[in-house]
Amino acid sequence: MFRSDLSGETDRVAGNQAIPPGWSSNPSAWGQRLPIAAVATVGFAIATYLTLFQYGVVDTVWEPFFGDGSQNVLESKLSRALPVSDGSLGAAGYLADAVSGVLFGVNRWRTTPWIVVLFALAVGPLGLTSVLLVIAQPVLYGSFCTLCLVSAAISLAMIPLAVDEALASAQQLRRVKDAGGSVWQAFWHGSDTA
Amino acid sequence: MKLTRGEVAQAVVAGVGGWLMLAPSVLGHVGSDIAQSDRIVGPVVLAIGFLSIFPITRLLRWVNLLPGAWLLLAPWLLDAPTDATISSMVAGVVVLALAPVEKAPQDQYGGGWITLVRPSDRPDK
Repeated sequence: MFRSDLSGETDRVAGNQAIPPGWSSNPSAWGQRLPIAAVATVGFAIATYLTLFQYGVVDTVWEPFFGDGSQNVLESKLSRALPVSDGSLGAAGYLADAVSGVLFGVNRWRTTPWIVVLFALAVGPLGLTSVLLVIAQPVLYGSFCTLCLVSAAISLAMIPLAVDEALASAQQLRRVKDAGGSVWQAFWHGSDTA
Repeated sequence: MKLTRGEVAQAVVAGVGGWLMLAPSVLGHVGSDIAQSDRIVGPVVLAIGFLSIFPITRLLRWVNLLPGAWLLLAPWLLDAPTDATISSMVAGVVVLALAPVEKAPQDQYGGGWITLVRPSDRPDK
């Protein structure tokens, strides 16, 4: 399951290339996935810090540009629209990105499509939510929050890095379907390219 | 590294989105209807433009036609002052002109997203 091949170009199972058919590189290679996990970890740290402010663990929040903007945004009604604060949901999202980003080996686009889809579902909606919150800050509260903008930029930057793997998985499942195989089986237990 | 036309065009579109986020403060009409419009459309144009820089998510570029068209209408519907009108109109023209640029080669991605609905486009077929 865990392989030490960092380039992700070869597979120990004979006859199965780790690079998806028609691709120039392997989207599940560690060289592609570790940077995403690193970026997600930074996002997690920022969101955790904002959460600590929202729950009063730290008294002030770092805001170099917008005066009391961060405070206005982080204490706004919208940030508490759900039972837990939006910062804590962001932290949970980033954690899900990091964990689902590193699980399984360099063939996971084909051996465990479910984790790749889960990964994409963790990355995509987090980015979308961030953009919506960036809109809400000035429109509803007349304020910007520097670290919230940084967090939004991070979550957006993860999307193009992450979705190539989802495309490889989806193409593999389509191949299985076209060959008359069980997509359900391939989704949970993997399939061969041959 | 040589940049492609599409990468440059989409980066410019993203920059227009960034400008729209700043415009209300720079032009001094914070609180007006056109300012709210800029601050809603700006992050959308910026985010879609940014994602469209990358070949794997270039398909999203078409989404920006919608906010691009709104930018041309908004100043007249929202009774904007002259400088905000010019800002919105120029932004709209740039977004509409550059958003379609340009289809990204999908040969490094096994034929791309289109193969999910049209498997015959797969290079391994």
